[in-house]
Amino acid sequence: QGHEFRFGPCQVEGVALPRLWEAFQTMKDTVQAQDNITSVRLLRREVLQNVSGAESCHLTHDLLKFYLNTVFKNYHSKIAELKMLPSLSSLANNFLFIVSKLQPSNHESLSVSDSAHRRFLLFKRAFKQLEIEAALTKAFGEVDILLTWMGKFYR
Amino acid sequence: DGVAALPAPQNLSVHSINMKHLLIWSPVVLPEEKVYYSVEYQGEYESLYTSDIWIPSKWCSRTEGPECDVTDDITATVPYSLRVRAILGSQTSAWSILEQPFNRNSTILTPPGMEISKDGFHLVIELEDLGPQFQFLVAYWRREPDTKEHAKVVRRGGIPVHLETMEPGALYCVKAQALVKAIGRNSAFSQTKCVEVQGEALPL
Amino acid sequence: HIAEDSSKLLQHVKFQSSNFENILMWDSEPDSIPGTVYSVDYKTYGEPQWLAKAGCQRITRKSCNLTMETGNLTEFYYARVTAVSSGGLSATKMTERFNSLQHTTIKPPDVTCVPKVRSIQMIVHPTLTPVYDGDGHQLTLEEIFQNLFYRLELHINHTYQMHLGGNQREYEFSGLTPDTEFLGSIVILVPTWSKESAPYVCRVKTLPDRTWT
Repeated sequence: QGHEFRFGPCQVEGVALPRLWEAFQTMKDTVQAQDNITSVRLLRREVLQNVSGAESCHLTHDLLKFYLNTVFKNYHSKIAELKMLPSLSSLANNFLFIVSKLQPSNHESLSVSDSAHRRFLLFKRAFKQLEIEAALTKAFGEVDILLTWMGKFYR
Repeated sequence: DGVAALPAPQNLSVHSINMKHLLIWSPVVLPEEKVYYSVEYQGEYESLYTSDIWIPSKWCSRTEGPECDVTDDITATVPYSLRVRAILGSQTSAWSILEQPFNRNSTILTPPGMEISKDGFHLVIELEDLGPQFQFLVAYWRREPDTKEHAKVVRRGGIPVHLETMEPGALYCVKAQALVKAIGRNSAFSQTKCVEVQGEALPL
Repeated sequence: HIAEDSSKLLQHVKFQSSNFENILMWDSEPDSIPGTVYSVDYKTYGEPQWLAKAGCQRITRKSCNLTMETGNLTEFYYARVTAVSSGGLSATKMTERFNSLQHTTIKPPDVTCVPKVRSIQMIVHPTLTPVYDGDGHQLTLEEIFQNLFYRLELHINHTYQMHLGGNQREYEFSGLTPDTEFLGSIVILVPTWSKESAPYVCRVKTLPDRTWT
Protein backbone atom coordinates (compact mmCIF):
# COMPACT_ATOMS: atom_id res chain seq x y z
CA GLN A 1 0.00 0.00 0.00
CA GLY A 2 1.61 3.28 -1.13
CA HIS A 3 0.61 6.49 0.63
CA GLU A 4 2.91 8.78 -1.24
CA PHE A 5 2.51 11.33 -4.00
CA ARG A 6 5.53 12.58 -5.96
CA PHE A 7 4.60 15.72 -7.90
CA GLY A 8 8.02 16.29 -9.42
CA PRO A 9 10.21 17.66 -6.63
CA CYS A 10 7.28 17.82 -4.20
CA GLN A 11 6.65 14.73 -2.07
CA VAL A 12 3.53 14.16 0.04
CA GLU A 13 3.30 11.21 2.42
CA GLY A 14 0.33 10.15 4.51
CA VAL A 15 -2.58 10.33 2.10
CA ALA A 16 -4.10 7.10 0.75
CA LEU A 17 -5.49 7.78 -2.72
CA PRO A 18 -7.96 4.85 -2.45
CA ARG A 19 -9.53 6.60 0.57
CA LEU A 20 -10.04 9.75 -1.51
CA TRP A 21 -11.72 7.64 -4.19
CA GLU A 22 -13.91 6.01 -1.57
CA ALA A 23 -15.00 9.41 -0.28
CA PHE A 24 -15.78 10.75 -3.76
CA GLN A 25 -17.51 7.57 -4.98
CA THR A 26 -20.30 8.07 -2.44
CA MET A 27 -21.07 11.49 -3.96
CA LYS A 28 -20.10 10.98 -7.59
CA ASP A 29 -23.22 9.63 -9.26
CA THR A 30 -25.56 11.98 -7.40
CA VAL A 31 -23.52 15.09 -8.23
CA GLN A 32 -22.67 14.13 -11.82
CA ALA A 33 -26.35 13.40 -12.52
CA GLN A 34 -27.04 17.08 -11.72
CA ASP A 35 -24.55 18.25 -14.38
CA ASN A 36 -26.66 18.50 -17.55
CA ILE A 37 -24.01 20.26 -19.65
CA THR A 38 -22.37 17.12 -21.04
CA SER A 39 -20.72 19.04 -23.87
CA VAL A 40 -18.41 21.05 -21.59
CA ARG A 41 -15.48 19.61 -19.64
CA LEU A 42 -13.52 21.96 -17.33
CA LEU A 43 -10.48 19.72 -16.70
CA ARG A 44 -9.85 19.26 -20.40
CA ARG A 45 -6.90 17.57 -22.11
CA GLU A 46 -5.13 20.90 -22.54
CA VAL A 47 -5.15 21.37 -18.77
CA LEU A 48 -3.92 17.93 -17.65
CA GLN A 49 -2.16 16.15 -20.51
CA ASN A 50 1.65 15.95 -20.78
CA VAL A 51 2.22 17.84 -17.52
CA SER A 52 5.90 17.61 -16.58
CA GLY A 53 6.93 16.49 -13.15
CA ALA A 54 8.16 19.97 -12.31
CA GLU A 55 4.90 21.58 -13.43
CA SER A 56 2.76 19.05 -11.56
CA CYS A 57 3.63 20.49 -8.14
CA HIS A 58 2.48 24.00 -9.16
CA LEU A 59 -0.61 22.78 -10.98
CA THR A 60 -1.74 20.49 -8.15
CA HIS A 61 -1.26 23.33 -5.67
CA ASP A 62 -3.34 25.74 -7.79
CA LEU A 63 -6.11 23.23 -8.52
CA LEU A 64 -6.50 21.94 -4.95
CA LYS A 65 -6.47 25.51 -3.55
CA PHE A 66 -9.24 26.40 -6.00
CA TYR A 67 -11.27 23.37 -5.01
CA LEU A 68 -10.87 24.20 -1.31
CA ASN A 69 -11.46 27.95 -1.57
CA THR A 70 -14.18 27.98 -4.23
CA VAL A 71 -15.72 24.64 -5.17
CA PHE A 72 -16.05 22.83 -1.85
CA LYS A 73 -16.74 26.02 0.10
CA ASN A 74 -19.63 27.10 -2.11
CA TYR A 75 -21.01 23.64 -2.80
CA HIS A 76 -20.98 22.71 0.90
CA SER A 77 -24.67 23.49 1.55
CA LYS A 78 -25.76 21.37 -1.40
CA ILE A 79 -23.69 18.45 -0.09
CA ALA A 80 -25.21 19.00 3.35
CA GLU A 81 -28.68 18.72 1.82
CA LEU A 82 -27.62 15.47 0.20
CA LYS A 83 -26.45 14.28 3.63
CA MET A 84 -22.94 13.58 2.33
CA LEU A 85 -20.95 15.89 4.59
CA PRO A 86 -18.72 13.15 6.07
CA SER A 87 -17.49 12.22 2.58
CA LEU A 88 -16.86 15.84 1.62
CA SER A 89 -15.11 16.40 4.94
CA SER A 90 -12.80 13.47 4.31
CA LEU A 91 -11.96 14.66 0.80
CA ALA A 92 -11.52 18.33 1.76
CA ASN A 93 -9.35 17.65 4.81
CA ASN A 94 -7.06 15.37 2.81
CA PHE A 95 -6.82 17.99 0.04
CA LEU A 96 -5.94 20.52 2.77
CA PHE A 97 -3.24 18.17 4.06
CA ILE A 98 -1.78 17.75 0.55
CA VAL A 99 -1.73 21.51 -0.08
CA SER A 100 -0.02 22.09 3.25
CA LYS A 101 2.80 19.75 2.15
CA LEU A 102 3.26 21.17 -1.36
CA GLN A 103 5.96 23.85 -1.55
CA PRO A 104 6.04 24.67 -5.27
CA SER A 105 7.56 28.12 -5.08
CA ASN A 106 11.15 27.45 -4.17
CA HIS A 107 11.77 24.51 -6.45
CA GLU A 108 11.44 25.51 -10.05
CA SER A 109 12.24 28.14 -12.68
CA LEU A 110 9.80 30.84 -13.74
CA SER A 111 8.94 29.16 -17.06
CA VAL A 112 7.75 26.01 -15.30
CA SER A 113 5.47 27.87 -12.91
CA ASP A 114 4.20 30.04 -15.76
CA SER A 115 3.36 27.00 -17.84
CA ALA A 116 1.53 25.39 -14.91
CA HIS A 117 -0.31 28.61 -14.20
CA ARG A 118 -1.44 28.90 -17.84
CA ARG A 119 -2.95 25.44 -17.60
CA PHE A 120 -4.74 26.41 -14.40
CA LEU A 121 -6.09 29.58 -16.04
CA LEU A 122 -7.55 27.48 -18.88
CA PHE A 123 -9.53 25.59 -16.26
CA LYS A 124 -10.51 28.72 -14.33
CA ARG A 125 -11.64 30.55 -17.48
CA ALA A 126 -13.85 27.62 -18.48
CA PHE A 127 -15.27 27.62 -14.95
CA LYS A 128 -16.08 31.34 -15.09
CA GLN A 129 -17.83 30.99 -18.45
CA LEU A 130 -20.59 28.97 -16.82
CA GLU A 131 -23.35 30.18 -14.51
CA ILE A 132 -22.04 29.78 -10.97
CA GLU A 133 -24.31 26.93 -9.81
CA ALA A 134 -23.69 24.97 -12.99
CA ALA A 135 -19.95 25.64 -12.72
CA LEU A 136 -19.79 24.45 -9.09
CA THR A 137 -21.77 21.29 -9.90
CA LYS A 138 -19.57 20.54 -12.92
CA ALA A 139 -16.29 21.20 -11.12
CA PHE A 140 -17.36 19.07 -8.16
CA GLY A 141 -18.41 16.29 -10.52
CA GLU A 142 -14.99 16.40 -12.18
CA VAL A 143 -13.10 15.44 -8.99
CA ASP A 144 -12.79 11.95 -10.53
CA ILE A 145 -10.90 13.47 -13.46
CA LEU A 146 -8.65 15.26 -10.95
CA LEU A 147 -8.06 12.09 -8.89
CA THR A 148 -7.38 10.07 -12.06
CA TRP A 149 -4.69 12.58 -13.01
CA MET A 150 -3.24 12.71 -9.47
CA GLY A 151 -3.03 8.90 -9.59
CA LYS A 152 -0.21 9.18 -12.09
CA PHE A 153 1.96 10.69 -9.36
CA TYR A 154 1.00 8.15 -6.66
CA ARG A 155 3.51 5.53 -5.48
CA ASP B 1 -35.81 27.69 28.95
CA GLY B 2 -34.72 24.10 29.73
CA VAL B 3 -31.38 24.19 27.83
CA ALA B 4 -29.30 25.75 30.60
CA ALA B 5 -30.85 23.42 33.22
CA LEU B 6 -29.06 20.37 31.80
CA PRO B 7 -25.32 20.51 32.64
CA ALA B 8 -22.86 20.05 29.80
CA PRO B 9 -20.43 17.10 29.86
CA GLN B 10 -16.98 17.97 31.27
CA ASN B 11 -13.34 16.80 31.06
CA LEU B 12 -13.29 15.84 27.39
CA SER B 13 -10.19 14.03 26.19
CA VAL B 14 -9.13 11.67 23.43
CA HIS B 15 -7.44 8.35 24.12
CA SER B 16 -5.81 7.16 20.91
CA ILE B 17 -3.96 3.86 20.72
CA ASN B 18 -2.96 2.10 17.49
CA MET B 19 -5.10 4.42 15.38
CA LYS B 20 -8.26 3.74 17.44
CA HIS B 21 -9.45 7.11 18.72
CA LEU B 22 -11.79 7.18 21.71
CA LEU B 23 -13.35 10.45 22.88
CA ILE B 24 -14.22 10.25 26.58
CA TRP B 25 -15.85 12.65 29.04
CA SER B 26 -17.23 12.78 32.56
CA PRO B 27 -20.85 11.60 32.59
CA VAL B 28 -23.71 13.92 33.53
CA VAL B 29 -25.27 12.20 36.53
CA LEU B 30 -28.96 12.94 37.34
CA PRO B 31 -30.82 10.71 39.81
CA GLU B 32 -33.28 8.35 38.11
CA GLU B 33 -32.66 9.96 34.75
CA LYS B 34 -31.26 8.39 31.59
CA VAL B 35 -28.90 10.90 29.93
CA TYR B 36 -27.77 10.46 26.34
CA TYR B 37 -25.03 12.29 24.47
CA SER B 38 -24.45 13.61 20.98
CA VAL B 39 -20.98 13.99 19.45
CA GLU B 40 -19.99 16.16 16.48
CA TYR B 41 -16.68 16.88 14.74
CA GLN B 42 -15.00 19.47 12.54
CA GLY B 43 -11.85 18.90 10.53
CA GLU B 44 -9.36 21.67 9.90
CA TYR B 45 -11.13 22.36 6.60
CA GLU B 46 -14.45 23.00 8.28
CA SER B 47 -12.93 25.18 10.95
CA LEU B 48 -11.14 27.27 8.31
CA TYR B 49 -13.77 27.46 5.56
CA THR B 50 -17.19 26.61 7.04
CA SER B 51 -16.73 27.17 10.76
CA ASP B 52 -20.45 27.10 11.50
CA ILE B 53 -20.69 23.53 10.17
CA TRP B 54 -20.26 20.61 12.55
CA ILE B 55 -20.74 17.03 11.38
CA PRO B 56 -22.53 14.39 13.50
CA SER B 57 -20.19 11.56 14.49
CA LYS B 58 -20.80 8.37 12.57
CA TRP B 59 -21.44 6.23 15.63
CA CYS B 60 -22.50 8.67 18.33
CA SER B 61 -25.18 11.02 17.09
CA ARG B 62 -27.10 9.71 20.14
CA THR B 63 -25.18 7.48 22.50
CA GLU B 64 -25.37 6.37 26.12
CA GLY B 65 -21.68 7.30 26.49
CA PRO B 66 -19.66 8.57 28.24
CA GLU B 67 -17.36 7.64 25.38
CA CYS B 68 -17.40 7.60 21.59
CA ASP B 69 -15.23 5.81 19.03
CA VAL B 70 -14.44 8.60 16.58
CA THR B 71 -11.99 6.54 14.50
CA ASP B 72 -14.22 6.57 11.39
CA ASP B 73 -14.74 10.34 11.68
CA ILE B 74 -11.01 11.18 11.71
CA THR B 75 -10.04 10.41 8.10
CA ALA B 76 -7.17 12.84 7.48
CA THR B 77 -3.94 13.71 9.27
CA VAL B 78 -5.07 17.22 10.20
CA PRO B 79 -6.35 18.68 13.52
CA TYR B 80 -9.97 17.82 14.35
CA SER B 81 -12.21 19.64 16.83
CA LEU B 82 -14.74 17.52 18.73
CA ARG B 83 -17.74 18.53 20.83
CA VAL B 84 -20.31 16.74 23.01
CA ARG B 85 -23.61 17.72 24.56
CA ALA B 86 -26.03 15.92 26.88
CA ILE B 87 -29.61 15.01 25.90
CA LEU B 88 -32.44 14.35 28.34
CA GLY B 89 -35.81 13.89 26.69
CA SER B 90 -36.34 17.12 24.75
CA GLN B 91 -33.68 18.99 26.72
CA THR B 92 -30.15 19.46 25.40
CA SER B 93 -27.18 20.92 27.25
CA ALA B 94 -24.68 23.42 25.90
CA TRP B 95 -21.88 21.97 23.80
CA SER B 96 -18.57 21.13 25.44
CA ILE B 97 -15.65 21.42 23.02
CA LEU B 98 -12.38 19.44 23.26
CA GLU B 99 -9.82 21.89 24.55
CA GLN B 100 -7.03 20.97 22.10
CA PRO B 101 -7.88 19.79 18.55
CA PHE B 102 -6.87 16.17 18.04
CA ASN B 103 -4.51 14.99 15.25
CA ARG B 104 -4.26 11.26 14.58
CA ASN B 105 -0.50 11.51 14.18
CA SER B 106 -0.36 11.67 17.99
CA THR B 107 -1.75 8.15 18.39
CA ILE B 108 0.23 5.81 20.66
CA LEU B 109 1.72 2.90 18.70
CA THR B 110 2.42 -0.21 20.79
CA PRO B 111 4.77 -3.02 19.77
CA PRO B 112 2.61 -5.66 18.01
CA GLY B 113 1.64 -8.95 19.63
CA MET B 114 3.63 -11.73 17.94
CA GLU B 115 3.54 -15.54 18.05
CA ILE B 116 6.15 -17.71 16.32
CA SER B 117 5.99 -21.45 15.68
CA LYS B 118 7.57 -24.01 13.39
CA ASP B 119 6.20 -26.63 11.04
CA GLY B 120 9.04 -28.93 9.98
CA PHE B 121 11.73 -26.51 8.76
CA HIS B 122 9.24 -23.66 8.27
CA LEU B 123 9.41 -20.69 10.65
CA VAL B 124 5.85 -19.34 10.96
CA ILE B 125 4.80 -15.98 12.43
CA GLU B 126 1.41 -14.61 13.38
CA LEU B 127 1.09 -10.93 14.19
CA GLU B 128 -1.68 -9.10 16.02
CA ASP B 129 -4.47 -7.88 13.72
CA LEU B 130 -4.42 -4.11 14.22
CA GLY B 131 -6.58 -3.18 11.24
CA PRO B 132 -6.11 -2.14 7.61
CA GLN B 133 -3.91 0.88 8.34
CA PHE B 134 -1.13 -1.36 9.70
CA GLN B 135 1.75 -3.22 8.09
CA PHE B 136 4.61 -4.88 9.98
CA LEU B 137 8.37 -4.90 9.63
CA VAL B 138 9.70 -8.27 10.81
CA ALA B 139 13.42 -8.72 11.55
CA TYR B 140 14.81 -12.25 11.91
CA TRP B 141 18.27 -13.80 12.22
CA ARG B 142 20.12 -16.98 13.12
CA ARG B 143 21.63 -16.71 16.60
CA GLU B 144 25.31 -17.35 15.82
CA PRO B 145 28.46 -15.18 15.68
CA ASP B 146 28.36 -12.20 13.20
CA THR B 147 25.04 -13.28 11.84
CA LYS B 148 23.15 -11.16 9.29
CA GLU B 149 19.72 -9.73 10.14
CA HIS B 150 17.00 -10.20 7.52
CA ALA B 151 13.89 -8.06 7.20
CA LYS B 152 10.49 -8.69 5.64
CA VAL B 153 7.28 -6.61 5.41
CA VAL B 154 4.18 -8.52 6.43
CA ARG B 155 1.12 -6.81 5.00
CA ARG B 156 -1.50 -7.83 7.53
CA GLY B 157 -1.92 -9.41 10.92
CA GLY B 158 -4.30 -12.05 12.11
CA ILE B 159 -3.08 -14.90 9.88
CA PRO B 160 -0.09 -17.23 10.36
CA VAL B 161 2.48 -16.63 7.63
CA HIS B 162 5.65 -18.49 6.61
CA LEU B 163 8.68 -16.33 7.35
CA GLU B 164 11.67 -18.50 6.48
CA THR B 165 12.75 -22.05 5.70
CA MET B 166 15.24 -22.87 8.47
CA GLU B 167 18.45 -24.91 8.49
CA PRO B 168 18.41 -27.83 10.94
CA GLY B 169 20.27 -27.44 14.23
CA ALA B 170 20.07 -23.60 14.22
CA LEU B 171 18.34 -21.15 16.56
CA TYR B 172 16.26 -18.48 14.82
CA CYS B 173 15.18 -15.25 16.53
CA VAL B 174 12.44 -12.81 15.49
CA LYS B 175 11.15 -9.35 16.46
CA ALA B 176 8.54 -7.09 14.81
CA GLN B 177 7.35 -3.48 14.73
CA ALA B 178 4.11 -1.94 13.43
CA LEU B 179 4.17 0.57 10.53
CA VAL B 180 1.42 3.15 9.86
CA LYS B 181 2.02 4.91 6.55
CA ALA B 182 -0.99 7.21 6.96
CA ILE B 183 0.92 9.07 9.68
CA GLY B 184 4.47 8.05 8.66
CA ARG B 185 5.28 6.48 12.03
CA ASN B 186 6.19 3.07 13.47
CA SER B 187 6.03 1.41 16.89
CA ALA B 188 8.96 0.18 18.94
CA PHE B 189 10.08 -3.39 18.28
CA SER B 190 8.38 -6.20 20.11
CA GLN B 191 10.31 -8.50 22.43
CA THR B 192 12.53 -10.99 20.61
CA LYS B 193 11.33 -14.58 20.45
CA CYS B 194 13.46 -17.54 19.32
CA VAL B 195 12.80 -21.08 18.07
CA GLU B 196 15.20 -23.95 17.46
CA VAL B 197 15.14 -26.62 14.75
CA GLN B 198 16.36 -30.16 15.48
CA GLY B 199 17.23 -32.77 12.79
CA GLU B 200 19.88 -33.24 10.03
CA ALA B 201 20.61 -31.05 7.05
CA LEU B 202 18.23 -31.31 4.01
CA PRO B 203 19.48 -33.43 1.00
CA LEU B 204 20.71 -31.06 -1.80
CA HIS C 1 -50.32 6.37 -18.15
CA ILE C 2 -47.99 6.81 -21.14
CA ALA C 3 -45.12 7.89 -18.83
CA GLU C 4 -45.67 4.77 -16.78
CA ASP C 5 -45.62 2.49 -19.87
CA SER C 6 -42.52 4.09 -21.39
CA SER C 7 -40.56 3.61 -18.16
CA LYS C 8 -41.40 -0.08 -18.50
CA LEU C 9 -39.69 -0.08 -21.90
CA LEU C 10 -36.25 0.79 -20.60
CA GLN C 11 -34.43 0.39 -17.24
CA HIS C 12 -30.96 0.12 -15.69
CA VAL C 13 -28.97 1.50 -18.63
CA LYS C 14 -25.37 1.09 -17.53
CA PHE C 15 -21.90 -0.01 -18.54
CA GLN C 16 -20.43 -3.32 -17.41
CA SER C 17 -16.67 -3.37 -17.85
CA SER C 18 -14.22 -6.19 -17.23
CA ASN C 19 -10.56 -6.06 -18.29
CA PHE C 20 -11.53 -2.99 -20.36
CA GLU C 21 -14.21 -4.86 -22.35
CA ASN C 22 -16.96 -2.23 -22.06
CA ILE C 23 -20.48 -3.55 -22.65
CA LEU C 24 -23.57 -1.34 -22.47
CA MET C 25 -26.45 -3.24 -20.85
CA TRP C 26 -30.10 -2.41 -20.17
CA ASP C 27 -33.36 -3.98 -19.11
CA SER C 28 -37.06 -3.71 -19.62
CA GLU C 29 -39.83 -4.90 -17.32
CA PRO C 30 -40.70 -8.56 -17.75
CA ASP C 31 -44.25 -7.85 -18.94
CA SER C 32 -43.18 -5.01 -21.25
CA ILE C 33 -44.49 -4.85 -24.80
CA PRO C 34 -42.80 -7.42 -27.15
CA GLY C 35 -41.32 -6.26 -30.45
CA THR C 36 -39.50 -3.31 -28.87
CA VAL C 37 -36.34 -2.21 -30.71
CA TYR C 38 -33.40 -0.35 -29.25
CA SER C 39 -30.91 2.15 -30.69
CA VAL C 40 -27.64 3.18 -29.03
CA ASP C 41 -25.60 6.34 -29.30
CA TYR C 42 -22.68 7.60 -27.29
CA LYS C 43 -20.65 10.74 -26.71
CA THR C 44 -17.38 11.85 -25.19
CA TYR C 45 -17.86 14.06 -22.15
CA GLY C 46 -16.94 17.61 -23.18
CA GLU C 47 -17.79 17.06 -26.86
CA PRO C 48 -21.01 18.45 -28.34
CA GLN C 49 -22.23 15.62 -30.58
CA TRP C 50 -23.83 12.26 -29.93
CA LEU C 51 -22.70 9.50 -32.31
CA ALA C 52 -24.85 6.56 -33.39
CA LYS C 53 -23.26 3.20 -32.68
CA ALA C 54 -23.26 1.22 -35.90
CA GLY C 55 -24.45 -2.31 -35.32
CA CYS C 56 -26.67 -1.29 -32.42
CA GLN C 57 -29.43 0.52 -34.27
CA ARG C 58 -33.00 -0.88 -33.99
CA ILE C 59 -31.74 -4.08 -32.35
CA THR C 60 -33.85 -6.39 -30.19
CA ARG C 61 -31.10 -7.64 -27.86
CA LYS C 62 -30.38 -5.68 -24.66
CA SER C 63 -26.63 -5.18 -24.85
CA CYS C 64 -24.14 -3.45 -27.09
CA ASN C 65 -20.34 -3.71 -27.17
CA LEU C 66 -18.88 -0.19 -26.95
CA THR C 67 -15.33 -1.27 -26.20
CA MET C 68 -13.73 0.40 -29.21
CA GLU C 69 -15.82 3.55 -28.89
CA THR C 70 -14.98 4.05 -25.20
CA GLY C 71 -11.37 2.86 -25.32
CA ASN C 72 -9.50 6.11 -24.59
CA LEU C 73 -8.40 5.77 -20.96
CA THR C 74 -8.22 9.52 -20.33
CA GLU C 75 -11.68 10.22 -21.69
CA PHE C 76 -15.07 10.07 -20.01
CA TYR C 77 -18.15 8.94 -21.87
CA TYR C 78 -21.92 8.82 -21.83
CA ALA C 79 -24.09 6.31 -23.70
CA ARG C 80 -27.82 6.38 -24.15
CA VAL C 81 -30.45 3.94 -25.38
CA THR C 82 -33.69 4.78 -27.14
CA ALA C 83 -36.38 2.12 -27.00
CA VAL C 84 -39.32 2.17 -29.44
CA SER C 85 -42.19 -0.25 -28.95
CA SER C 86 -44.21 -1.77 -31.76
CA GLY C 87 -47.04 0.54 -30.68
CA GLY C 88 -44.85 3.61 -31.21
CA LEU C 89 -44.16 4.26 -27.52
CA SER C 90 -40.57 5.39 -26.91
CA ALA C 91 -38.19 6.04 -24.02
CA THR C 92 -34.61 7.26 -23.83
CA LYS C 93 -32.25 6.77 -20.93
CA MET C 94 -28.58 7.76 -20.42
CA THR C 95 -25.78 6.10 -18.44
CA GLU C 96 -23.81 7.74 -15.69
CA ARG C 97 -20.48 9.26 -16.70
CA PHE C 98 -18.17 6.36 -17.55
CA ASN C 99 -14.40 5.96 -17.61
CA SER C 100 -12.94 2.51 -18.11
CA LEU C 101 -9.90 3.10 -15.86
CA GLN C 102 -12.28 3.85 -13.01
CA HIS C 103 -15.00 1.33 -13.69
CA THR C 104 -13.40 -1.77 -15.15
CA THR C 105 -13.10 -4.84 -12.93
CA ILE C 106 -10.11 -7.17 -13.14
CA LYS C 107 -10.50 -10.82 -14.06
CA PRO C 108 -8.41 -13.52 -12.34
CA PRO C 109 -4.86 -13.85 -13.77
CA ASP C 110 -3.84 -16.67 -16.08
CA VAL C 111 -1.29 -18.77 -14.16
CA THR C 112 0.60 -22.03 -14.68
CA CYS C 113 1.41 -23.90 -11.44
CA VAL C 114 4.39 -26.27 -11.84
CA PRO C 115 5.00 -28.80 -9.02
CA LYS C 116 8.55 -29.98 -8.25
CA VAL C 117 9.89 -32.18 -5.43
CA ARG C 118 10.38 -29.50 -2.77
CA SER C 119 8.92 -26.47 -4.44
CA ILE C 120 6.07 -25.15 -6.57
CA GLN C 121 6.73 -22.69 -9.39
CA MET C 122 4.04 -20.26 -10.49
CA ILE C 123 4.22 -18.47 -13.83
CA VAL C 124 1.84 -15.56 -14.35
CA HIS C 125 0.98 -14.87 -17.97
CA PRO C 126 0.37 -11.27 -19.11
CA THR C 127 -3.26 -10.27 -19.66
CA LEU C 128 -3.94 -8.61 -22.99
CA THR C 129 -6.71 -5.98 -23.12
CA PRO C 130 -8.67 -4.49 -26.06
CA VAL C 131 -6.88 -1.17 -25.45
CA TYR C 132 -4.28 0.06 -27.96
CA ASP C 133 -1.71 2.83 -27.59
CA GLY C 134 -1.01 5.52 -30.12
CA ASP C 135 1.32 3.25 -32.06
CA GLY C 136 -1.33 0.53 -32.43
CA HIS C 137 0.35 -1.66 -29.79
CA GLN C 138 -2.15 -3.79 -27.86
CA LEU C 139 -1.70 -3.08 -24.14
CA THR C 140 -1.60 -5.56 -21.27
CA LEU C 141 -3.04 -4.84 -17.82
CA GLU C 142 0.54 -4.50 -16.59
CA GLU C 143 1.24 -1.77 -19.13
CA ILE C 144 -1.94 0.13 -18.27
CA PHE C 145 -1.64 0.06 -14.50
CA GLN C 146 1.81 1.23 -13.37
CA ASN C 147 1.56 -0.15 -9.85
CA LEU C 148 -0.23 -3.41 -10.64
CA PHE C 149 1.18 -6.31 -8.67
CA TYR C 150 0.42 -9.96 -7.95
CA ARG C 151 -0.17 -11.45 -4.51
CA LEU C 152 0.47 -15.20 -4.32
CA GLU C 153 -0.55 -17.33 -1.35
CA LEU C 154 0.21 -21.00 -0.74
CA HIS C 155 -2.03 -22.53 1.92
CA ILE C 156 -0.27 -25.21 3.98
CA ASN C 157 -2.43 -27.83 5.71
CA HIS C 158 -5.05 -25.20 6.62
CA THR C 159 -2.84 -23.74 9.35
CA TYR C 160 -0.59 -21.16 7.73
CA GLN C 161 0.23 -19.53 4.44
CA MET C 162 3.33 -18.71 2.43
CA HIS C 163 3.19 -15.29 0.73
CA LEU C 164 5.01 -14.04 -2.31
CA GLY C 165 4.29 -10.92 -4.33
CA GLY C 166 5.57 -8.46 -6.86
CA ASN C 167 5.21 -7.49 -10.50
CA GLN C 168 7.49 -10.06 -12.07
CA ARG C 169 6.19 -13.14 -13.93
CA GLU C 170 7.84 -16.07 -12.15
CA TYR C 171 7.62 -17.07 -8.49
CA GLU C 172 8.71 -20.17 -6.55
CA PHE C 173 7.53 -21.40 -3.17
CA SER C 174 10.41 -23.53 -1.85
CA GLY C 175 11.26 -25.60 1.20
CA LEU C 176 8.13 -27.75 0.77
CA THR C 177 7.48 -31.34 1.80
CA PRO C 178 7.56 -33.82 -1.14
CA ASP C 179 4.45 -35.69 -2.26
CA THR C 180 2.09 -33.27 -0.49
CA GLU C 181 -0.94 -31.33 -1.76
CA PHE C 182 -1.04 -27.53 -1.55
CA LEU C 183 -3.60 -24.90 -2.51
CA GLY C 184 -2.29 -21.90 -4.44
CA SER C 185 -4.22 -18.63 -4.79
CA ILE C 186 -3.08 -15.75 -7.02
CA VAL C 187 -4.78 -12.34 -7.30
CA ILE C 188 -4.06 -9.16 -9.27
CA LEU C 189 -4.03 -5.94 -7.23
CA VAL C 190 -4.09 -2.33 -8.41
CA PRO C 191 -3.85 -0.33 -5.16
CA THR C 192 -4.23 3.12 -6.71
CA TRP C 193 -7.69 2.15 -7.88
CA SER C 194 -8.53 -0.24 -5.03
CA LYS C 195 -8.98 -2.96 -7.63
CA GLU C 196 -8.50 -6.62 -6.72
CA SER C 197 -9.28 -9.55 -9.02
CA ALA C 198 -10.97 -12.74 -7.94
CA PRO C 199 -8.26 -15.36 -7.26
CA TYR C 200 -6.89 -17.88 -9.71
CA VAL C 201 -6.75 -21.08 -7.67
CA CYS C 202 -4.59 -24.13 -8.34
CA ARG C 203 -4.51 -27.30 -6.27
CA VAL C 204 -1.16 -29.00 -6.83
CA LYS C 205 0.88 -31.83 -5.32
CA THR C 206 4.69 -31.80 -4.95
CA LEU C 207 6.49 -34.72 -6.62
CA PRO C 208 7.63 -37.74 -4.61
CA ASP C 209 11.28 -37.61 -3.48
CA ARG C 210 13.05 -40.51 -5.29
CA THR C 211 16.54 -39.46 -4.20
CA TRP C 212 17.21 -42.48 -1.95
CA THR C 213 15.09 -45.12 -3.79
